[in-house]
Amino acid sequence: MLTYVAIVLDGLVYASWLFMVSVGLTLIYGVMKILNIAHGSLYAIGAYTAASLVGAYFSAGYVPVLSFAVLVGAALAAGLVCGLVIERGVLRFMYGQDEVLMILVTYAIFLILEDLIKVFWGVSPYFAFQPYGMLGNFDVMGLPYAGYDFLLMGLAGLTGLGVWWSINRTRTGHLLTAVIHDREMSTAMGVNVKRVYTVTFVIGATLAALGGAFTAPKISVTPGIGVEVIVLAFAVVVIGGLGSIGGAMIGALLVGILRAAAVHLLPEVELFVIYAVMALVLAFRPYGLFAAPEARKI
Amino acid sequence: MGVRRTRRQVRRVVALLFGAVLLFQAPPGVTAAASGDELLVGCLFPMTGRGGLYGRDSVAAIEMAVAEVNADGGVAGRRLRVLVEDSKSKPAYAVQIAERFIRRENVHFLCGAVSSAVGLAVSDVARRRQTIFVGTDHASSRLTGESRHPYYFRVSNNTRQSMAAGARYLAELQARTGWRRIGFIGPDYDYGHVMWRDMREQLDALGVDYEIVVELWPKLYEPDFTPYIDAILDAAPQILVNGHWGGDAVQFIRQAGNLELFERMRFFNFDAGGNYEVMAALGDEMPLGVVLSARHHNNWPDTEANRRFVNRFYEHAGRYPSYAAEGAYAGIKAIAQVVGEVGDPRDTDELIAALEQLRLKLPEDPEGFTSYMDPETHQIVQMQAIGEVVPNRAYPPATTMLGNWRVYDAEQLSGSGDVVHRETASPTQ
Repeated sequence: MLTYVAIVLDGLVYASWLFMVSVGLTLIYGVMKILNIAHGSLYAIGAYTAASLVGAYFSAGYVPVLSFAVLVGAALAAGLVCGLVIERGVLRFMYGQDEVLMILVTYAIFLILEDLIKVFWGVSPYFAFQPYGMLGNFDVMGLPYAGYDFLLMGLAGLTGLGVWWSINRTRTGHLLTAVIHDREMSTAMGVNVKRVYTVTFVIGATLAALGGAFTAPKISVTPGIGVEVIVLAFAVVVIGGLGSIGGAMIGALLVGILRAAAVHLLPEVELFVIYAVMALVLAFRPYGLFAAPEARKI
Repeated sequence: MGVRRTRRQVRRVVALLFGAVLLFQAPPGVTAAASGDELLVGCLFPMTGRGGLYGRDSVAAIEMAVAEVNADGGVAGRRLRVLVEDSKSKPAYAVQIAERFIRRENVHFLCGAVSSAVGLAVSDVARRRQTIFVGTDHASSRLTGESRHPYYFRVSNNTRQSMAAGARYLAELQARTGWRRIGFIGPDYDYGHVMWRDMREQLDALGVDYEIVVELWPKLYEPDFTPYIDAILDAAPQILVNGHWGGDAVQFIRQAGNLELFERMRFFNFDAGGNYEVMAALGDEMPLGVVLSARHHNNWPDTEANRRFVNRFYEHAGRYPSYAAEGAYAGIKAIAQVVGEVGDPRDTDELIAALEQLRLKLPEDPEGFTSYMDPETHQIVQMQAIGEVVPNRAYPPATTMLGNWRVYDAEQLSGSGDVVHRETASPTQ
């Protein structure tokens, strides 16, 4: 019984993290039809910014509990700056191009950012572990769980709720939905599609940075952390359906629970299960679990 | 129609991603081939990521060794020069670098490699190109066991030796406490798997009665060990053997400490957990009393030679060395010594014969012992000291070091009996 409780809790923690790092990717694809490979680098920049600022914050001896606000501030700063620079500086010149070309463009941005991270932060690991231990541990049937992991679950839930509410209950969200359904018609109706794109990309970049910032206290922040994230986030959004927020949530839950089950019950297949699920979904529903087949315009 | 289009797009995306990854792997060019009056060594170390410190410490120690050798007039009338490239801890990439070292730079020796996976890949290049590869740090016993060949030598302890010492420690502990339930967590590549195999074989050979209750294989450079730690706590072993090194060991110990693992079981890492890097990174978070070891210790043996090496490294690099430094130092010193004896760095057969008879006094050798090469396996024979973490602020930024040492005899660890006989029965040629 304890093993199954541990699987569910570990799965939920991992799923929360997966959702945090993949929701921005699927949002950008849904609106802009860009599979943003640089998403991994934005996550890494969020993590590095948070690690640097949290380190400086604690060195200065400020109130520890406000370090969580530093994490949010780091994510906002990294997401806004990088999102705006990438969208205004590169992507806006490429709109309307083939999706595959856009992948190459974002891949190039990814490579540049990976090197810039090394130039700016060096190659030694950064640690921002202080916030992780501040919430203490919770005892679940004799197993200690870090309070920080429950914070991550709550944050993922809030993020999902926030994105859902923004899309379904706000004017900007309705504009996004209109652009998702028909960009040309939206333009004809007076929607400033370019501004919608800018806002969407910056939000997506900030969500990636938020994922990185709140992951930083759990990990050692080292060069290359963005590479793994983009592969996992890609698996999650492919399983859920490219462009589907709900799909990203279900994809994250599926991958999170299966991975936790593998770790506890059959550790040898831990990595295999993630990509086996992706392969199965692609084989039977190439558009993912929650995205609808896309009709081609003639 | 739409579905077909989506499917096509996904295929194109996957193909492009693979293509991009392959492009990303292409190694940079290296320059300056060996001239006639040089002894040229090509080394591969990771310079970035969690293994990056090992590479940087290795390079600093190589600089020390090269300066010493050249200050003494070089080797057989030649100036010693070492080329270093970043292996990126990727075997395929390292193979390309090693090929370039041999074919374009005409290096006389290959050296280095921290990851055993990289070591195995480079060792295969050495075998095919008939170029001597001196392994300085990677520890999988496979390289001097099933995969050994005439052109490969290793100058630091391997996993069989460290696990032989660890198994003896655990056998003594069982005699005192009667523990029986054991668990293992280690990185999911050759090093981790071979280490656990070596440990089980040594425990069996010593007649230790044990039950394996958990065995976990997170990938190398796993960012978050939380689910694995939960699985260990759930299985509740009395003894946990850990096979992580570098940043992975730091990350695992930090997270395990947060989740109270050390209060529930005895923790051991006999191969790399006692590396100075781990204590320096964890500072006050390092749990006291856990039992660790490493291939070189800054505070053992307490000899003039070891103190001199550690202090000189500190003066040179501005930090205390991780064990990788002494391995790299030993590799360059070994190469210089045998070329000095043979004279011609291209006389591979004579160099192999000289390396098989190598005796090399190293900083990690206690008084009265000199490291030597096992001519059969090409594995250096050294002593192994296992210690408990105790408070010690003599090597900042670490606030703990190992102490309460138990020292295991080199011949006892270098192996005899079924395991070595099985592995030496069919060497790779």
